[in-house]
Amino acid sequence: MPTTSPFSPPTGFDPKLSPLDRDRALIRGFLDQPDRLPDEVRRLAEAEWDGDPVQLYALADLTAELTFTSSWILLGPRRVAVATPDPEAPQGWRIESFDRETIGEVTESRGLSANVLRIRRTDDGDTLATVRYTSRQRPAMGNLIYLLQERTALPSTAEGADETYAAAMTSEIKDAQATVAGHQMAVVWRLIGYLKPYRAKVALGIVAGLLMTLVSLAPPWLTGALIDKVLRPFEAGTLAHREAWRMSAWILAGVLGAYALRTVLAWIRMRIMAFIGEWVARDLRNDLYEHLQRLSISFFSKRQTGSIITRVSSDTDRLWDFVAFGMVEVSLSAFMVVGLGAILLWMDWRLGLLVIVPVPFLLWYIRRCGRIIHGIFLRGWRKWADLTGVLADTIPGIRVVKAFHQEDHEKARFKERNRIVVDEFNRVHGAWTNFQPIQLLLMHLVAVAVWTAAVWRMLGGMEGAAPTLTTGEFVAFLLYLGMFFMPIEVFSRMTWMLNRSVSSAHRVFEILDTEPASRIPARGIRLEPVKGRVAFENVRFTYDGVRPVLKGISFVAEPGQMIGLVGPSGSGKTTLMNLIARFYDPTDGSITIDGTPLADLDVGHYRRQLGMVMQDPFLFHGTILDNLRYGLPEATPGQIIEAARAASAHDFICRLPHAYETIVGERGHTLSGGERQRIAIARAILHDPRILLLDEATSSVDTETERSIQNALARLVQGRTTIAIAHRLSTVTRADLILVLKEGRIVETGRHDDLMAIEDGVYRNLYRMQSELHQMYAV
Amino acid sequence: MTSPTPHLRRSADGQLFVETPEAEIPVSVRPCFPWTDPQRHVSLRDAEGVEVALVEDPAALAPESAAALRTALAEAGFLLEITRIESVEKRFELRDWSVETRQGPRRFQTPLDLHVHPLADGGHLIRDITGDLYLLRPADRYDPRTRKLLWTFVE
Repeated sequence: MPTTSPFSPPTGFDPKLSPLDRDRALIRGFLDQPDRLPDEVRRLAEAEWDGDPVQLYALADLTAELTFTSSWILLGPRRVAVATPDPEAPQGWRIESFDRETIGEVTESRGLSANVLRIRRTDDGDTLATVRYTSRQRPAMGNLIYLLQERTALPSTAEGADETYAAAMTSEIKDAQATVAGHQMAVVWRLIGYLKPYRAKVALGIVAGLLMTLVSLAPPWLTGALIDKVLRPFEAGTLAHREAWRMSAWILAGVLGAYALRTVLAWIRMRIMAFIGEWVARDLRNDLYEHLQRLSISFFSKRQTGSIITRVSSDTDRLWDFVAFGMVEVSLSAFMVVGLGAILLWMDWRLGLLVIVPVPFLLWYIRRCGRIIHGIFLRGWRKWADLTGVLADTIPGIRVVKAFHQEDHEKARFKERNRIVVDEFNRVHGAWTNFQPIQLLLMHLVAVAVWTAAVWRMLGGMEGAAPTLTTGEFVAFLLYLGMFFMPIEVFSRMTWMLNRSVSSAHRVFEILDTEPASRIPARGIRLEPVKGRVAFENVRFTYDGVRPVLKGISFVAEPGQMIGLVGPSGSGKTTLMNLIARFYDPTDGSITIDGTPLADLDVGHYRRQLGMVMQDPFLFHGTILDNLRYGLPEATPGQIIEAARAASAHDFICRLPHAYETIVGERGHTLSGGERQRIAIARAILHDPRILLLDEATSSVDTETERSIQNALARLVQGRTTIAIAHRLSTVTRADLILVLKEGRIVETGRHDDLMAIEDGVYRNLYRMQSELHQMYAV
Repeated sequence: MTSPTPHLRRSADGQLFVETPEAEIPVSVRPCFPWTDPQRHVSLRDAEGVEVALVEDPAALAPESAAALRTALAEAGFLLEITRIESVEKRFELRDWSVETRQGPRRFQTPLDLHVHPLADGGHLIRDITGDLYLLRPADRYDPRTRKLLWTFVE
């Protein structure tokens, strides 16, 4: 089991860890609470339950006096127990058990941070248990409350108690945190792995960088040589004018050559690494996007769209920055610090020590100032967010602002926040403008110390003894000294860049490490042709492993039949559709298409036989034409117009400024809900699916539009197996079979007339209610 | 339904009941203005969330009813009050807080773009990623280190 360290992110990114161990590492690293039920509590409870296992548990972390504690509530197949720490109890725990059969009422009262679970007896309503807990415990407690309230057993497919507890406790952290954190260096190494395909070029870039650094050392040395071997002997008259010129020409040629070579090497290094950085970012983006396409709908429903887009765009861009410049800069700077330090010591160990000894202090100072500025900057950034918050509020709501004549109020609000932002950022500027001159002064003080010591030695001390340092050596030393401080500044910048890049890499790798929920067979079966027989047999489904959303659904849709799904919201209609589309796999039971298990089919091929018209159809940014032929790029204009006519969309499309080539979707022409739906229907007609899924296609449109959509749908469903969710029951009166769902179960089934004949039936009541409403508003 | 003077009772397990001549209805309390006026305008709601009574001013209730309501309000309005901030660290998209509360030491996490709710007395409320609320008193009541962290991350 990995242990945590205060100096490194202590959670379980290690891919070798099991999901349970990763979750436990997160609980230990973030929540400071037990990562599992104490063994002693489990043993005591199971002994009291005659060996029945603990199937589910949750921590109750508040006492009746609302102080922290670590009590547990445990659920077994027949009993419930509350374990409370009690120093006077024999094993340190007081266990109070009761039979599940005796439970009459289970209620949860939610407060701001304290929540109360009360379990009462069936016969007299007396309290069996009361536990209190903070909101943090609600995911685990919610699972337990659900099973108690529903008086149901855990699904046979449920994971163990430890897995369920750990997953519930970490769900919020995993959702909120872009990644399951890990050690920085592990992430850096993984990122370096992306350089593998380009290793020859990387090696060339690094060699160019090293050579560039080595060549950079030549000019100072040549300068020293020019002074000591040419200029001073010439001034002293010991070197002839002609010879001085000859030597100077060689030295100047050397300096020119060094600078030219350095330029070429810098060009090679920058060009290669910039290109490689772009290639690595491209590979990451491709991997990421390909992986995103394989992930299940559940992944996207848990993540904010913006967060996913950021990972593909700006996170990979930041990684380019790191690969192109960061990695090489850090390695070259390290090389320069060590190399130049050695040269300075070699040239003159006493002067060298004067330079090297203050370095740790200088690094400490740079780091300390960096942290201070970072703190001030954080505050400034918060104020900046407040300012942009005004924009986010008022720009989309500009109609409301104007309608209530609040322009002056909003202007004043913006002005005030703008003033605060300026104050805070001026504070940031004040800090760094204080910090940088002091940093420079410290470096200059080192230089002055070197000058003083050097002058002392060049003049032979106060007594005028023989000089122990030549002018040329001194000048060369000074030039090396200037170079020595540059990489130290680079280090201070690189810490920030490294943190930022590792964070981005984490966010990218988190998606790459997410396994698709559905088990896609490597070589799925292709049904050619798909006839469209859809059969559900005792299908159960749960999103969280505890709460079933579908509870034993069985029905058959024969090819060409229309099945209507009816029921209140939350009854499982949309989930059922999602299972047919294979966005999720059933937890239990089977779904077959033409007698073949859905799980064995080639998903891509199967989905090409599937059409979907959803409640709020999504149109991509592009022309109506692009949107219509999204699923069939080879469709001819004639086919497209025919499909649009069938969907009652042709007329309104022709009225748009650019007809079929009007830009719609995000940032495009705004279409009404009914228009979008008709385009979606036309898209589905063009796609010519064998199985059609319709979700509340006429739920939010006026009567006339509804009629034209109904006509379009009537044409669309002909000859196809259609599964239709309908809130307006008039749309399913002609269905071959209507399934009435309630709380995940089919409670009534039959044709419209059959269901209307059921006295006090759910469908009949719903139909009657809708008819009355329709009459009221149709007047 | 609004009852001008409902009779309230609190059971041994802390459940609040509205007593009517016909029945006792278990209710939960929901202050309408939890930050600006938490003790008044209290909505009493049954298990289905339907309002059974709205108490505008508990002072108008019978003493035992008012006492029961006050206790229920204290429980429902319970917040974790921070007495000292030990550290605030950035941990991969989250800010990780180590604090001392009146109830004991606590670690919690907030998003990086934390939105704090300023209170009328100069204090602040922070909501962590699990929904727990933390009360911060005005900065001048804290030690210098906590004040410095508040300045950076909250105020």
